[in-house]
Amino acid sequence: MERILIQLITAFTSSLGFAYIFNVKGKRIFYDGIGGFLAWGVQLLAAAFLTNEALCYLLGSAALTAYAEGMARWQKCPTTLFIVAGSIPLIPGGALYRTMSYGISRDWQAFFNQGLETLLLAVAISAGILIVMVLDQIWHNARALSRKRKAQA
Amino acid sequence: MSENAQDTIEGFLTCALDIGERMLISGGEVNRVEDTITRVCKAAGAQRVDVYTITSSIVVTMGMPDGQVITQTRRISRQKLDMNALDRLNDLSRYICQTKPSVAEVRSMLKQIEVLPQYSFGTQVVMYALVSGSCAMFFGGNGWDGLASALIGVLLKFVQTFLNKTCPSDFFTIILCSIFGGVMAHLFLRLGLGENPAMINLGNIMLLIPGIKLTNAIRDMIRGDTITGVLCFAEAVIVSMAIAWGFAVITF
Repeated sequence: MERILIQLITAFTSSLGFAYIFNVKGKRIFYDGIGGFLAWGVQLLAAAFLTNEALCYLLGSAALTAYAEGMARWQKCPTTLFIVAGSIPLIPGGALYRTMSYGISRDWQAFFNQGLETLLLAVAISAGILIVMVLDQIWHNARALSRKRKAQA
Repeated sequence: MSENAQDTIEGFLTCALDIGERMLISGGEVNRVEDTITRVCKAAGAQRVDVYTITSSIVVTMGMPDGQVITQTRRISRQKLDMNALDRLNDLSRYICQTKPSVAEVRSMLKQIEVLPQYSFGTQVVMYALVSGSCAMFFGGNGWDGLASALIGVLLKFVQTFLNKTCPSDFFTIILCSIFGGVMAHLFLRLGLGENPAMINLGNIMLLIPGIKLTNAIRDMIRGDTITGVLCFAEAVIVSMAIAWGFAVITF
C-alpha cells in the first residue's frame, strides 16, 4: 500500500518536473502532473485485475489520451502538450536501460527477453494513445457528418 | 494578386516551412507538421500541396491554380522539446487559415515565438532534481536513494549545460553525462548516501534516456509514417545503448 502511494505521488511529481523541462507554461504544468498520476493510477488499477502487463499499460495510456483530448479541447492547444509529460510514468525508460545493460554485460538471453518486454510495453503505450485518438477522430467526423445531413434536410 | 506575386508565394512557402520546422523541433508529430503545412499553404491559395516530412527533413511542393509549381526543402538538425512554442505555432497556423495575413505579419509573429521565454536555469536545475528524485523513488528506491539521485541530477544539469555549449556531438554529450552520472552514484555510495545504486542511477537515467522517442517512434510506425518511425527507433536504441554503457563504465 505504501509502495502504491509513493508511486502515485512520484508519478505526479515526475510528470510535473518534465512539464517544466519541456517548457509547458502556467496551470498546464499542474494538469500534466494530474495526467501522469491518472496514467499510473489506471495502470495500477488494471494490474489489480489483470495479469497481462502490456494490457495494463495500454489501458493507462488510453486513459491518459482520453484525458489529454479533453484537456486539449478545453485549453485549445495541441494534445501533445498533455501526452508527452503525462506519459512519463508509463514510458519504459527503466526497461530500455535494463535491456541495454544486459547487452553491455553480454547476457544475450536476458537481453533478448528484456528487449522484447520493453518493445511490447512501448507498442502497448503507443497503441493505447492511437486507439483513443482514432476513436476520437471517428466521433468527431461522425458528428460533423450528421450535422451536415441535418443542415441539408 | 500584386505584381511581385512570385515573391509573395515563395515567401509564403518559406514561412510555412519555418512554421513546420519550428513545430518539428519543438516536438510536434510528423503528421501534425504535415497537416499544418498543408493547411497554411492551402490558405495561401494553393490548389495542391504535397508535403513529405521525416524527422530530419521537410519537402513541400505547392501547386498554384495558375500552373505555377514551387518546391522548397528544409533540413532539421536537432530536436529540443518546447511545448509552449508548439502551442503558439498551432495558434499561429489557425490564425493564418482564418485571417490570411500578409507574409510580413506572419514573419513578425514567428519572430515573437522564437524569443518566447524559457524557464530560468535555476528552475531547470530544481526540476532536474525533482525528476531524478521522483523517478528513483518511483522505481523502488528509498528516500536516501531519492535524495542522492536528486543531488546528482543537479550536478548533471550543470554538466549537460556545459557540454551542450562546448561538445560538438550530441551523442558524446549523452555518453559523457552518463559516465558522470555513474561515477557520481558510486561516489555517493562510498560517502554513505543512498543504498541502492541501480535506483539512484535509474533516477538520473530517466533524464537522459529517449523513452519518449522510442514510444513516439512506434506510434509513427503504426500510424504509417514508417520511415520516421524506423529512424527514431534506431536513434533511440543507439542512444540508450550509449547511456547503458556510460553508466556501467565505473563497474568495469
